[in-house]
Amino acid sequence: MSDSWTLRARGISKKFGLTLSQSMKYGLKDVIRKLLGKPVDTARLREGEFWAVRDVGFELKPGEAMGIMGVNGSGKTTLLRILNGVYPPDAGFVTLRGRVGALIAAGAGFAPMLSGRENIFVNGSLMGMTNREMSSVLDEIVSFAELDKFIDLPVKNYSTGMFIRLGFAVAAFSRPDILLMDEVLAVGDLNFQKKCFEHILRLKNKGTSIVLVSHSPGSIWSVCDSGIMMDKGRVIVHGDIESVIRAYDDQNSLNAFEANKRAILSSLTDKTLISQECDVETDVSASSLPGSYGHSRGGTGDAICRSVRVLETESLRPTDKVKFAESFALEFVYLVNKKIDQPIFRASIDAVHYKFLVSIDSLENGFSPSAIDPGKYVLRVSVLKLSLRPGVYSINTSLTSRRLGIHIFYWMAATSFVVMHPENLFLYSNDKAIFFSPCEFILERLD
Amino acid sequence: MTEYRSEANNPIRTFSAGAENYSLSGSIKAACADIYCSRFVIWHLFKRDFVAGFRQKLLGYLWIVISPLIGVASFVFMHSTGILNPGETEIPYPIYVFFGAGMWGLMMGALGSVSSGLSVNSDLVMRTGIPKISLAISGLASICYSMLVNLVVLCAILMIFGLVPSWLAIFYPFTVLPLLCLGIGVGLILAVIGSVARDVTGMASSLLGLVMYLTPVIYKAQFDNPVLNEIVRLNPLTYLVDTPRTLFFNGCVPSPPGFALSSIFAVLVMISGIHAFYLVKNNVAERL
Repeated sequence: MSDSWTLRARGISKKFGLTLSQSMKYGLKDVIRKLLGKPVDTARLREGEFWAVRDVGFELKPGEAMGIMGVNGSGKTTLLRILNGVYPPDAGFVTLRGRVGALIAAGAGFAPMLSGRENIFVNGSLMGMTNREMSSVLDEIVSFAELDKFIDLPVKNYSTGMFIRLGFAVAAFSRPDILLMDEVLAVGDLNFQKKCFEHILRLKNKGTSIVLVSHSPGSIWSVCDSGIMMDKGRVIVHGDIESVIRAYDDQNSLNAFEANKRAILSSLTDKTLISQECDVETDVSASSLPGSYGHSRGGTGDAICRSVRVLETESLRPTDKVKFAESFALEFVYLVNKKIDQPIFRASIDAVHYKFLVSIDSLENGFSPSAIDPGKYVLRVSVLKLSLRPGVYSINTSLTSRRLGIHIFYWMAATSFVVMHPENLFLYSNDKAIFFSPCEFILERLD
Repeated sequence: MTEYRSEANNPIRTFSAGAENYSLSGSIKAACADIYCSRFVIWHLFKRDFVAGFRQKLLGYLWIVISPLIGVASFVFMHSTGILNPGETEIPYPIYVFFGAGMWGLMMGALGSVSSGLSVNSDLVMRTGIPKISLAISGLASICYSMLVNLVVLCAILMIFGLVPSWLAIFYPFTVLPLLCLGIGVGLILAVIGSVARDVTGMASSLLGLVMYLTPVIYKAQFDNPVLNEIVRLNPLTYLVDTPRTLFFNGCVPSPPGFALSSIFAVLVMISGIHAFYLVKNNVAERL
């Protein structure tokens, strides 16, 4: 049936003022215009306003679950509040068919002085249930929340876990046709979380449409079939939940990459030059180079690496993004001030949580020039087989010599790059893991 | 704009952009429908606030009685020391002031609870779809409860003074309705304007504090200055406060046209308040 939808959103947008004073100024203007019966043009941005949600549209059928992902400030919670009727949209419309249950901040609205039982009735009525309906599910709620004899204790004496369990239980048992949830599945201990997931899936199987906002790819993937990924209020990916999770993970990596880049730039001196491609090229002189370890760069001054770049293998174009399991190249520009015998070029790769994951050494790879004379050199290293999992990585580089037990030059976190999610694989299992290894699985029954 | 349609137990709600084009009657109808739909919520919120408000207090529910008595005691003290000259009152001054202060408190209480109803329940505004008017008026239940308790205390005081009220006193609840309407109307206007500019509610309350002295609440409000007397005469609150009291004790309405016009004024203010509230209520959530 083509019209068997429960939630339909078309072109919904919402704007806010950037500052409190502007917000108050425009708010008063709008209020006065409305009171005077004059129309207010909400679909246009005024000075000092921004779109928190812009032109979002989707449709949900009974039993469908949609995840909303996005980094902080992308407009997820504002969108959920529009769907729940808290904020009116400034453009577009949303239509909901059936009883709407909202699980936004489970446990909010509890009166601390009242007992758990009293609060169940208060919160149940807030969810749209009558006293009779509440009485019929009271025992289930108490049992689900695992409160038993504590149900008549004032909730101010509850532990955080008890408080959260009760909030979730009341909301989850309100038998909604549409359930709006904001980061509420990460409540309680593992057993309680398991129960929450099972209950949500039961609701889904009975035909409840679900909209889940979460930063947790695991929660989203468990519950949702499709999703949207938001950035600066706009939907930038709308599709199956795997592609949304990939896009969200890549977005996080790119944000971390930008933060890394800023950190690298701020660690350099005033003599830093930044080229058009945003590569870092240093103009540091040999005399200003620290002659000890413990700095971001240091060395004897005999040779200095002036830039490190990541390149696409074939075109040799600089890039920040590397495709998963595909080769790439590293380019180092060296200024050699004194002749170096039997030089060894090294690089290593760091991840966010781990250091020196990969060591790339010219000698290990059979590249061993006898000496390099003073002059400017460019060294390109093709990295051929490296299955780094999606994420952000940084590169350290150093130069040493076969007969020297020290570094002639070292540079930590010289540049960074992002490994993007592949389209043919869904790498979701562990966001702290670094390498992917293709494996074969065989499951045999023993009994 | 929010539209409600029902389709065989399958309510449909639409939230769309554009000015809230409620007509005056549309606002009133929507308010009635919203309040009816959320009557359970209003009842539960009242019970929640009522029960929670008196727990862990030494004198518990007695505070409902003690608070107004303390207020009256201060006026009686000022009267007995000669600081306050209320003029010739037909009934003993403590009863006069208890009655007047009770009615004034009723209006100010209604105004205060309605105007702060949205900000007090801001977490519910932000996370639930409960009609905003229901949250705004949920505090009124406790105001009505306090009025009933005040009435019981008044009866006790009357017995002490050996005073018998007129049989028309049974109409007392109806005669204070206009006062309640006025408080609700002003409160609703302040609720929406106060959510944008937060000092408006405080300013309005202070202003009404001054108006009390131009109203026969704690004294008869008869001045030597003819301009002040004219202001008192034109002040609708004069009739709204004086009529219930005179009817209660003397069994007559001092100025039927004045009371009728003031009552119409109060109802118009409430209707305007509801209309204003429905025109701009959607701007409220994002300002809380």
